[in-house]
Order: sequence, then structure tokens, then C-alpha cells
Amino acid sequence: MAFQTRRKYCFFKENNIYKVDYKDIRLLKKFVNDHGKIMPRRVTGTSAKMHRKVVSAIKRARTIGLMPFVSNGSE
Amino acid sequence: MRYYEILYIVNPNFERKKIDDTMNEIDIRLKETKSKIINHIIWGKKRLAYTMQGHKYGTYVLLHYESGDKKKLDEFDSWLKLSNLVIRHMIVRLDNEPDVLESVGGELPEKRKEVLETDKDKKSEIDNNKKLKE
Repeated sequence: MAFQTRRKYCFFKENNIYKVDYKDIRLLKKFVNDHGKIMPRRVTGTSAKMHRKVVSAIKRARTIGLMPFVSNGSE
Repeated sequence: MRYYEILYIVNPNFERKKIDDTMNEIDIRLKETKSKIINHIIWGKKRLAYTMQGHKYGTYVLLHYESGDKKKLDEFDSWLKLSNLVIRHMIVRLDNEPDVLESVGGELPEKRKEVLETDKDKKSEIDNNKKLKE
């Protein structure tokens, strides 16, 4: 088989997480790419409800300097 | 009354005593607004994701409070912005009453750790499968 089927799943539903804190950088880093851009829902598989929370948390983390607006991926 | 959280960044070159002085001054100003302070603790020195006012590092301080006089709080916000005490601050409204914290550890609660580790295992499994297929 040449293709491997990868099941999409919502990370938060799988792990029973209901709140997203902007200070929790370790979690939020899962949802940005190497350049610091927020990854789309179709890639991460996150539910719409949680994706909205993730987006606002990442934006908050950016304003207070915990996450980069842009990065060249080297850190 | 509502609960709020302020996270602000202090100059990283400040000594412990100077940080305490800054915290005290913010405490006094906030008390003037009839707010009730729940937590006011140092999170620690961290590397900033981008430079702010020429600083590469910053000392983060976390503050939780129950809101008092709205008009005075607006004044407090603009005072904090104009003063040279902090490099940057952000006020966020909380949904629930915050717990009384003794310290903000870099460590995550145990439950969360497990979750993150199991996720890593899954990833490595997928990688292994890919390698096998190649």
C-alpha cells in the first residue's frame, strides 16, 4: 500500500481539554508551523470550537512576547 | 465583580529588590481602584520571542485581581502603559475565580504531561511506520 491513511482527530477532544491558556506555549506550539504561522483547521484536524480558542490564545501570546509573529524557524 | 489577569514584563536587568518595588507600586495603584488582589507573583525571566524596546529577555510577573471601580481601572491601565516601570502589559478577563497560587512553575500539571508524552509516542510510531514503508 502506497498510501497510509491518517485519521484526523481533534487534539482537545481526544485529551479532554476544554480550556486553552495563552501562557501554555508548549501546547500552542503544536498549532503553528516553523514560521510561526497558525496552521489551518484542515491540517490540524481541530474542531471549530477549539480552533477559535487556539487562535485567540496564540494571538494573545504574540502580543505579550511569548510567541513570535514571524520566525525563520531557527531557535 | 469580574476577575482579571495582568501579565507584564519588567526590565530583565532589574534586581530582585527593584522588582519588588515595582510590584509594590503596582499593588498600591491597583488598591486605589478598590480592586482586590488575589495573586501577584513572579513567573520568571524568559527569552522574548522578539525584541521589545531593545530587550531580548524579560522578567514576567503575573497578577490576578477582582475588579473594583471601572473608571479608575481604565486610568490604571493607561498609567501602566505610560509609566516606564514595565516594558509591556496585557489585561485579560477570566471566566472563573482564579486559584491562589504560590508560584507559577514552568512545569505543567502531571495530567497534562502525560498527554503530551503519549502524543510524542504516537508521532514516533507514525514516523517509524513511514520509514518501514520506504
